[in-house]
Amino acid sequence: MNRTGSVIDLERETSKESSLHSMDGRIKLIILIFIIVYAVFSTQIMVMIFLEIYLLMLIWISNVSFKTTVTRVLLLLPFGGLIILFQPFIHPGTVIWSGAFGLQITYEGLMWAALLVSRLIVSLTSIVLLSSISPMQEVVQSFRKLGMPREIAMIFSLMIRFLFMFYDELHRISQAQKARCFDAFNKELPYKWRMRQLGYTVGMMFLRAYEHGETIYLSMASRGFSDESNLYHDKKRKIGSREYTFIIVTIALVACLQIGAMLLFEHYGFLGIRIG
Amino acid sequence: MHIPDGFIPLWQCAIYYVILIVALYFSLNWARKNLDEKMVPLMAVLAAGIFAIMSMNMPIPFGTSGHMVGGALVAIVFCAPEAAIIVFTIVLLVQGLFFGDGGITALGANVLNMGIIAGVVGLYTFKGLRKSIGKYPAIGVAAWLSIFLAALATALEMAFAGTFPLVEGLAMMGIYHAFIGIIEAVLTVVVIYVLEKIRPDLLAWNRNKNLEEIKPEQSEVTAK
Repeated sequence: MNRTGSVIDLERETSKESSLHSMDGRIKLIILIFIIVYAVFSTQIMVMIFLEIYLLMLIWISNVSFKTTVTRVLLLLPFGGLIILFQPFIHPGTVIWSGAFGLQITYEGLMWAALLVSRLIVSLTSIVLLSSISPMQEVVQSFRKLGMPREIAMIFSLMIRFLFMFYDELHRISQAQKARCFDAFNKELPYKWRMRQLGYTVGMMFLRAYEHGETIYLSMASRGFSDESNLYHDKKRKIGSREYTFIIVTIALVACLQIGAMLLFEHYGFLGIRIG
Repeated sequence: MHIPDGFIPLWQCAIYYVILIVALYFSLNWARKNLDEKMVPLMAVLAAGIFAIMSMNMPIPFGTSGHMVGGALVAIVFCAPEAAIIVFTIVLLVQGLFFGDGGITALGANVLNMGIIAGVVGLYTFKGLRKSIGKYPAIGVAAWLSIFLAALATALEMAFAGTFPLVEGLAMMGIYHAFIGIIEAVLTVVVIYVLEKIRPDLLAWNRNKNLEEIKPEQSEVTAK
């Protein structure tokens, strides 16, 4: 799980221009979280297929690279994928395959696994889209405007600023270690020694973190920072016709999908079956 | 240990969100009372540090790998589980929103495991064992137990959600995290050892001790 490159790549992707990029951050955040919540609520694979098509259309509109999106979703899938892999074997139901050591695949388990995969793909596509069209600071500002407590918004905002600096430092430390032929996974070296080196690396990261924090605090204090300060700047952006269109189209799609899920999809084979 | 979106039904996510909101309410009250304007940037930097450290893969005996979580570390450094709750709410929100690691609907459950359970277990195990077995062994045991119990809580939540059977889940998560816990224990001990040696003023127990040690007659201002 090395995000060194991806943090920088993410911010690069958000600097592109499109109607979705320039939309109010709150609307993008609410709508994409709404899609995730609806995907988690829904129990039909057909609904997930339509949601995924809609998200892919949004990706096309926003000029975000399809290749990058698919790669990122595929890279993220294994995190939940391992649990999904077990599902066909652990759910009771109609046995459709029996193998050695009493292994059995059930139809219900297979369908549940398919639902989890499809939910995961929709959720990850939403996250990839959101992170590709909204700079991190814009998301922090959106949360603040939506009522996030001031203390959390402040720590959140500062954390995002420090994140990039940290990845640079982590990269520098790992480069220095590589230059000295240090490999934490090299079994020729004693395990205790490798752990001690990693411990010192983490310890140094913490120390640098604190010391950077202190330096930054002093420079902020000298510029008038106090515990009452607001670190985010409020761009006066009105919610216009584009935002309203986005809201209406998404809500209309979800309403249609819900009506279809209740009345129609069940007649279209296994993709429309309610699972769970 | 990050539970993704879709693995827990929405009504259960709502329960975990209620727990998160209550925990955040108390944590924010603690922050308002105990964090001065200097501590806010420090906590933000610590959150960024935890985020970066969570991306470092470490070797575990028997050939697999894992990463540090740091719930016990944050709680012990600040001597307050509330600090772990605030830091992990932010870290997991960023991970869920930008990196698809964990989930938005599962945020409450993830903070419960890695922030609340790991923080509370880590700090109070450390406090309970400190006098009987010594500071650093207590930190190691606290960090190991924090990750182990957080993993078991994850297995319980997954079983409650109907996503993974209880016994198998507890066995798999328990065994795997018993090894991951070794990393957590070793690194937490080393980090606190390094902080104690180089910057002892950053550890909450030293800060409190320093304040107690300064008697009015010793104060420079009073003396003059």
